[in-house]
Amino acid sequence: MAPLGPARVAPAPDLDRAAAVPSGLARRARRTLGRHRWPYAFVAPFFVLFAIFFVFPIAFSFWLSLNEWQGTGPMKFVGLQNYAALLRDGTFWNSMANAVILFLLYVPIMTALAVLLAAALNDRFIRLRGAWKAIIFLPYITSMVAVGFTFRLIFDTRSGIVNDALGIVGLGPVPWLDDPWGAKVTLAILITWAWLGYNTVIMLAGLQTIQREVIEAAWVDGATRLQALRYVTVPLLKPVILFSLTLSVIGTFSLFTEPSILTRGGPARATTMPVMEIFSTTFSNLRFGYAAAMSYVVFAVIILATAIQFRVARRGAS
Amino acid sequence: MKHHPRARWAALVVLIGLIGCNTPPASPSPAATSSSGGEASPTLAASASAAAVLPEISPDPNISGTLNVWIGGLAQNYYEALDPEFAKAYPNIKVKYTVIDYGGNADNPGLYQNFQLAVTAGSGLPDVVSLEDSHLGQYVKLDALADLTDKVTPYLPFLPGQKVQDASKDGKIYAMAIDSGPVALYYRRDVFEKAGVDPTSLATWDDWMAAGKVIKEKTGFPMWQQAKARNNARTFESLLWQQGLGYVDASGAVILDKEPRIEQTLAFVGQTWKDGIAADNEEWTDPWYAAFNKGEVATHPGAVWMSTFFKSFIAPDAKGKWGVVPLPRWTTDGSDTANDGGSSFAIPAASTQKDAAWAWIQFYTGRPESVMTWYKASDIFPSLTAAYADPYFAAPDAYFGDQEVRQFFADLIPSVPAATVYSSDYAVMNASLSSAIQRFAMGELSAKDALAAAAQEIRDKTGRS
Repeated sequence: MAPLGPARVAPAPDLDRAAAVPSGLARRARRTLGRHRWPYAFVAPFFVLFAIFFVFPIAFSFWLSLNEWQGTGPMKFVGLQNYAALLRDGTFWNSMANAVILFLLYVPIMTALAVLLAAALNDRFIRLRGAWKAIIFLPYITSMVAVGFTFRLIFDTRSGIVNDALGIVGLGPVPWLDDPWGAKVTLAILITWAWLGYNTVIMLAGLQTIQREVIEAAWVDGATRLQALRYVTVPLLKPVILFSLTLSVIGTFSLFTEPSILTRGGPARATTMPVMEIFSTTFSNLRFGYAAAMSYVVFAVIILATAIQFRVARRGAS
Repeated sequence: MKHHPRARWAALVVLIGLIGCNTPPASPSPAATSSSGGEASPTLAASASAAAVLPEISPDPNISGTLNVWIGGLAQNYYEALDPEFAKAYPNIKVKYTVIDYGGNADNPGLYQNFQLAVTAGSGLPDVVSLEDSHLGQYVKLDALADLTDKVTPYLPFLPGQKVQDASKDGKIYAMAIDSGPVALYYRRDVFEKAGVDPTSLATWDDWMAAGKVIKEKTGFPMWQQAKARNNARTFESLLWQQGLGYVDASGAVILDKEPRIEQTLAFVGQTWKDGIAADNEEWTDPWYAAFNKGEVATHPGAVWMSTFFKSFIAPDAKGKWGVVPLPRWTTDGSDTANDGGSSFAIPAASTQKDAAWAWIQFYTGRPESVMTWYKASDIFPSLTAAYADPYFAAPDAYFGDQEVRQFFADLIPSVPAATVYSSDYAVMNASLSSAIQRFAMGELSAKDALAAAAQEIRDKTGRS
């Protein structure tokens, strides 16, 4: 590929070329730098900030995970001991299991709903498309803290309107937030509600890249709308669905605000998520190194889960 | 699904703020006897011996500086009322206040998270910080606080022993007491009257339990509010403290699964759910407030600061309806009080203005006149026992049906037993015990197994034996 740099100009004569005799490689590097100094200067702010606020913390966390540190005072190098201890940490793996269960509770439903909603919104016969899009997207831009508190009221076992409504038809009361499974389900409902719009927009973007003629051809061939969706649209949409699933994996393992407000991780740690565990290990137990090790394990699990997803998806495609 | 990290942090900040508004002001700051090195002495009487004389403050007007004072958990800054007087005594010290909610757990870090970050960063630290006694031990252990031994020692005869123990490590004292939280049994006069039960007849917890059944039968109201799936272990801590028990013994070893009385106490709490004399309402929520306000609950074992909250925002409509009696005892020779909450002022070790900071602390907490000023304004119960001689204590309190509530609590202070509920690992311990009580309440585990689970978890997380 041709370089996208500025038009080549003859390099200015290097004044101290005589003084220094750099190796060929260094000279070439310097020449490249010199020639592209303006592009580099323009992209530098991002990379400098990225290095300070992302690369350094990530690297430092890794170093931290090999140490014992209380946030002040000297660090004590302990090698892989934090990771070894983590393997036997019941509350940490409980939080990881909670994340997996939560993922299974809401992601399939949310993803399916997102595809259906996107397909409906993409239909050219639908009216007020902009308004529908706005309504569906609204939860995503609503303050999660406000949402959390509202859901707490709505799903309160004794005074919430959900149980009031169920009571009218003779059901309940359901201990939504007062039972380990109830709390997980309520959290799944909240997250589905809050993130459905975001995922729908992703699906919609994907749908708009699919040529309408392909779907119309299916109709002409006698497929029902549902069949066309099932056998034409969804397979073509697969890369986008995979993308949205990947984001959901990351999002589920890094959930914090929603459970913190809705359930505070309870009852009995039934909705404590890995990041909440990392947070309390850091800020209430002051085990910075151990918490850093947790972060790296969560990271590794996310990578692994994503890799498996891609693997499965590729096998499904072939 | 995608969480933008920045959005998440922004949300967190909002969350901290929001929860801040949601938690009661001067939040139920736990207070008192802690492990962090201190040996538990059998009785913690504030032995204000006749010989001891409260130190005179002789202000040195040459001390100068600009102090950053962080005050946790107050709805407003009641110390400001003393500022003009302080300015007269120390004309060259300027004071800047920051009032923050304490928070103190994962979803609500508040002052502690800020303080922790400042300690870690080594910058942005205040010169004076108020810390709940429950969390004080953690910062003492970190060596984050300045040694105040020489400065606080003259006040020891005028402070409850438990406060000093909490602020100490290896014989050194790191904080000056602000307030204490003696615990008693609040009761609704109207509910007891309607049921025909005499509140002063509740000598033991068995009496209390029996009265609870009568009250439930006669009035339909529960004896107390005790959340099940959302239990925060605070009442349970008080019940242990009353028996001189806590999470750990004086050596710092976990005793939750070793001390049979702890299991019996949890079984006692469980019995109140079984017998239907406990209302399953989460603390600091509307249903919890409403029951207190409307008189739909008979009693509440609570610390002195609860009287403040009853008056101000929990039960403002219940004037004249509440009374206080000592806690029922567990054994006839046991204590009839406990402690829940309390806080202290400390100076960060890295402060460069320690003299000015101490001058401020001493002026605001070491003089009975100062203490009475903020006590009258805030109703935050002072630790300085020398202040208890003020006639304000003996005055009747109209909210409590003209009972002399302040004197009542002041008289309880000497009989608060020594116990190790607070330590350098309090936050972890409280979280583990809360989860265990919740599992017990939901019928997942027996009292014994729940306590064993909590004990194991605490050992794993803190490395204690």
